[in-house]
Amino acid sequence: MSMMPALTTLLAAADGPFIAGGTAPAWVGLMAGLPLLGAALCVVCACLNVKSKAPGYLTVGLLAGGFVTALAAFMGGSDSDSYGVATIFRWIHASIGAGSEASITANIGYYMDGLSMLWMLFVTGLATVIGLYSTEYVEHDKGLGYCRFFFAFNLFVFSMSSLVMADNLLLLFLGWEGVGLCSYLLIGYFYKKPEAVAAAKKAFIMNRIGDLGLLMAIGATFVVFGTIEFRPLFEFIRDGVDANGNAIAHTWVVVVIPLLFTAGAFGKSAQIFLYTWLPDAMEGPTPVSALIHAATMVTAGVYLVARMYPLYAADEAHIALSVIAWSGAITAFWAAAIAFAQYDIKRIMGYSTISQLGYMFAGLGVMTTTGAVFHVLTHAFFKATLFLCCGAVMHGFAGQLDMRKLSGVGSIAGFKITAIAMLIGCLNLAGLAGTAGYFSKDMILAEAFVTPGEVIFLPWAVGLLMLLTAFMTAYYTFRVFFRVFVGPVKYEAGDDHHGDAEEEHAAEDAHGHGHDDHGFHPHAPRFAMNAAIALLAIGSIAAIPLYFINAEDHGWAGSMVHESTAAFAAPEVHHDDHGEHGEPHAMLSADVVPVSLGAAPEGDGEAAHHGDNLGLGLDPHKAMYVVSGIIGVFGIGLAAFFHGPKGLGGLFIGNRTDTGSPRMDAVARYFGPLPRLAERKFMIDELYDTIIVKPLLVFSHIFHAFDKLVIDGLVDLFGSLPRWLGSLLRPSQDGMLHGYATGMVAGSAVLLLLVVLVALL
Amino acid sequence: MPSLLHILILMPLLFAVLIALAPSKQARAIAAIGSLVPIGPMLVALWKFDWANGGDLHFVSSYNWITDLGLRLGVGVDSVSLLLIALTVLLGPICVFGSFSAVKDNPKVFYGWLTGLQAAMIGVFAATDLVVFYICFEFTLLPLYVLINLYGSSNRKRAATKFFLYTFTGSIIALAGLVYVVFHHRGIEGDWTFDIATLTSTAMGMPVEAQALVLLALMLGFAVKVPLFPVHTWLPLAHTEAPTAGSVILAGVLLKLGTFGIYRFVLGFVPEAVIAYAPLIAVLSIIGIIYAGLICWVQKDVKKLVAYSSVSHLGFCVLGLVALNNVGLTGSVLYMINHGLSTGALFLCIGMVYERFHTRSMDELGGLASTMPIWSSFMVFFVMASVGLPGLNGFVSEFMCIIGTFQSSPAWVLEGRAGAAGGSLGPWFAFAAGFGVIVAAMYLLYMTGRVVWGTPKHPAGHDDDHSELPTDLNKREISLLTVLAIGCLGLGVYPTPVIEAIEPSVERTLAPYQDLLQAHAAEVGVRHEAASEEHSEPHAESHEGGH
Repeated sequence: MSMMPALTTLLAAADGPFIAGGTAPAWVGLMAGLPLLGAALCVVCACLNVKSKAPGYLTVGLLAGGFVTALAAFMGGSDSDSYGVATIFRWIHASIGAGSEASITANIGYYMDGLSMLWMLFVTGLATVIGLYSTEYVEHDKGLGYCRFFFAFNLFVFSMSSLVMADNLLLLFLGWEGVGLCSYLLIGYFYKKPEAVAAAKKAFIMNRIGDLGLLMAIGATFVVFGTIEFRPLFEFIRDGVDANGNAIAHTWVVVVIPLLFTAGAFGKSAQIFLYTWLPDAMEGPTPVSALIHAATMVTAGVYLVARMYPLYAADEAHIALSVIAWSGAITAFWAAAIAFAQYDIKRIMGYSTISQLGYMFAGLGVMTTTGAVFHVLTHAFFKATLFLCCGAVMHGFAGQLDMRKLSGVGSIAGFKITAIAMLIGCLNLAGLAGTAGYFSKDMILAEAFVTPGEVIFLPWAVGLLMLLTAFMTAYYTFRVFFRVFVGPVKYEAGDDHHGDAEEEHAAEDAHGHGHDDHGFHPHAPRFAMNAAIALLAIGSIAAIPLYFINAEDHGWAGSMVHESTAAFAAPEVHHDDHGEHGEPHAMLSADVVPVSLGAAPEGDGEAAHHGDNLGLGLDPHKAMYVVSGIIGVFGIGLAAFFHGPKGLGGLFIGNRTDTGSPRMDAVARYFGPLPRLAERKFMIDELYDTIIVKPLLVFSHIFHAFDKLVIDGLVDLFGSLPRWLGSLLRPSQDGMLHGYATGMVAGSAVLLLLVVLVALL
Repeated sequence: MPSLLHILILMPLLFAVLIALAPSKQARAIAAIGSLVPIGPMLVALWKFDWANGGDLHFVSSYNWITDLGLRLGVGVDSVSLLLIALTVLLGPICVFGSFSAVKDNPKVFYGWLTGLQAAMIGVFAATDLVVFYICFEFTLLPLYVLINLYGSSNRKRAATKFFLYTFTGSIIALAGLVYVVFHHRGIEGDWTFDIATLTSTAMGMPVEAQALVLLALMLGFAVKVPLFPVHTWLPLAHTEAPTAGSVILAGVLLKLGTFGIYRFVLGFVPEAVIAYAPLIAVLSIIGIIYAGLICWVQKDVKKLVAYSSVSHLGFCVLGLVALNNVGLTGSVLYMINHGLSTGALFLCIGMVYERFHTRSMDELGGLASTMPIWSSFMVFFVMASVGLPGLNGFVSEFMCIIGTFQSSPAWVLEGRAGAAGGSLGPWFAFAAGFGVIVAAMYLLYMTGRVVWGTPKHPAGHDDDHSELPTDLNKREISLLTVLAIGCLGLGVYPTPVIEAIEPSVERTLAPYQDLLQAHAAEVGVRHEAASEEHSEPHAESHEGGH
């Protein structure tokens, strides 16, 4: 606590968050409106029993329209004056009475600033591309299923847009639940499969657990600030006061409310205790996994925290941020450890999504909103690429996803684009030096080492954990790549396990393929899928220069974040008296320190200090480039050593077999039961089942029995009392109703008499 | 002077008589017309109503009956009553048209009582006089008793009897409370009156002990109707055994008689007791929300599941009422309407499946999405409305009930929070009730997973009779569900007009509470301070208290 005064002055000197002031044009609503129209048109198509790909193309067209709108808004919005609020109509308005002016007002209104703009750009863009991919991916299901798919797809983009552009917490909540619904509908797309149905249900319910936190956060926000609309809300928070002008610092407001928001964010973004739904969500069609469960929806939690960041930053003890930083890092590590031992390539991607989301949260926690947001952006592209590639493999091999049964896919005709894109995606995920994923991850890693300990609890430990995770990530990513895409061509067709069995068969037959392994020929992705994969791969490369433009703001993402509420207090760099511990810049460097490869803004003292952590004696950012670069290469090399194919001109020295790697097995023995446990996902699902679901089920059965036997039994007992009395008095009692009625009328007469007596006395 | 309300009450009665007189073959047609015609006067009423002054009584009319006893036949509506009447009138044709293929035997009795029931329900909402209210209130029992008893499923006799006796006992106890209030009025003013408004103003002056007694009596009566835990056990039985139309009207309107009674009489008559006992009632509501929700989760019978879900949902409704602030009460009234639409629709959906497969067991039903895609789409839609998905109706009211509860802490008032609105609950109540939102998702999606998704099952007993019904829904069924779906969507997307319509009535109801709640908060504050000085056990308020 002794450090607090110094930090207080720092924060007091800050500029505070950027609050969009003006009025945004109403047409930004098209970004949400066009997909909604698309959803309506898909319903029409379903009613008209359309059997063509029309709903798909319609969707792609409208989503492209949404993307164009986003671009137009971005062009106009880069001048920060035109960021603002566009109100479409009043959705909910309830005055609270009691002589108060406050009211729960929630408009269908859009709050445009850098943060929502950035999110909308990649949401609409990716949705368009993945929509295109889907037109081919679900073609076997033309007709009602096709309409259903694109209906939910459109509705998802609508909900996501509402979430991101909402100008109040309630509309955000609408989008929040809406994406949950679409996720539910799309995970359960193959509804004849029990696993898919169960996964869909699980996703919805686990999200709802987080949503309870969000709901409570909204309630508390309203009570304290008297509003749930962003602009007035952030004006209060910027000034550090509640609606009555009382300071909010050092009160529960800045601790409890952020923690409640965090609970919501963790549910949606599959963090810490609430992650188990996301791997199961991989039961959904792959484009859905790519768009919803990798690129967009799961980043909603990151968005929420970034959006509400001023409230988090207002707590000088940074309790909520410490929680986020640690939860993120632990989740990143945990999920990576599970991904280490999985064989289903799509699940691995699922776990890696959880892991990367952990990085983003850790980034938010160690106070680099820019790093977190940039990582969201790069991850959206490269993870969507990876998923679409997995989808192409799955689509081509009749649902085969087991990496032990696929080999050398890259050498099969027609899978070239897929293989190249996969390589690009893997390199990004592994964080190979120079890739976009490397730069964005580094921003977070470096920040963890420069954030002083009095701001976040043991930030360097967060950083170390993430470094270890980075190594694991590189390894498990390339384990997939080496096993599946290089080496001798060898494959086993899947059993359509992940597809809609009958329809897929029909599609196979139409292509003249038998379905047995003898006659099985993988069918390569055609135009739409290839185009989408290529576009996304290009996108993940194109994200690299974004890091270098607007370098003074930490790249393009930084400049966008800078014009949003996620741009938190950013004072000038100066040294304070706390010497080695309280580097002021350190905690706030995200927006101050121009990070480009050559420009180290700090003096030697700080570098030396941070050098302690890294042991390299360099500026933290530079040091991190080196360290994480080495770690990435090392991870990839290890994957090659264990899982690479033999030969190829001595390039590869791997020793993999069809089922594993003898070298890896030898290493794994040193870890005891851990590898087996990791393969079984550390039995967390079973644990939850045992300690939560089963007991709850038992309770429910007990309640049910209790309700029937005790509560209703008492009623019946009470009801039979008159009859019993009657039978005592008049043995010739006939009929149940009669007996009841007699007793009841007598009883009520007595009661009435009592009441009258009481009244008269 | 006759008023629109007389037309609305008498018209169904007239049609009921017509059905009784006409030949059996014509019963269905007359009922159909009879259910549609009142929509006209209802629209006129909605149009002519002065919404800005929705708290006042409109279309007032009264005839003296027994002048010496102050007995009058008075009708009149404020905005809340009118909205509930509109719901009743809207659900009328849904029930009648929804029964076309289900009711074959003795249609005369069925449609006659169904139409007569409309009159009684409208009468309850329109009454300005206790006697009219009570007569109509009790009269609603009889038609439903007949409908369940004659047209229900296998266990219908027992269900009908239990329903009748249970709710009848409840209403008798409520009557005792109402009569007490009348006597109290006579004791003070010296004259007999049954006029609700007059009684409200005198009843408020009762000493707290007497108020508590009246609260107990009224709550016992109305809680049975709602139904509130632990007096809910008649409902699952009645719902499960009732014919579809009976379930729809039961969930749609009859349960609302209980919450309406609480709104009108409990909140109106005994404010001080309500403030004192609100936490207790809230605790019962919350227990009901979660307890009934969990019971839903282990049901095998789809209809029973939805029936128990009513207990859970109505818990939110009562919780909103005892939040004692604008948001909570408005949300609660809105909940009455919303629940009528979405749960009514769910019962209708289940009825449609029952007509086709003659089973409601989740063990036998399954994978209907592949065989009945239209039905499944509607089912998922209404499940989502019931789960409280934003954008659909259920969310708005559920959210308002929860936020109203959240706001209703005395601590907020003491701290002078901007969003404070008085009451004697608080965040912990809201948090506990919030678990109901999770549980709702659990049981409703469990049902959807079993019935809608999954591999198609072919229940035995299908495709013998009822050949007139296609595999999926026919046009009549689609139209019915579409009407309800539009209602759900409309109230979810643009609830503001309805909220604003409800508010004046709510404000009037809450008017006596402002000072009382302030005083209550101050008292809690004093107690709280005393408690913290003595270092005794901390009060609940200390959790939310600022530093």
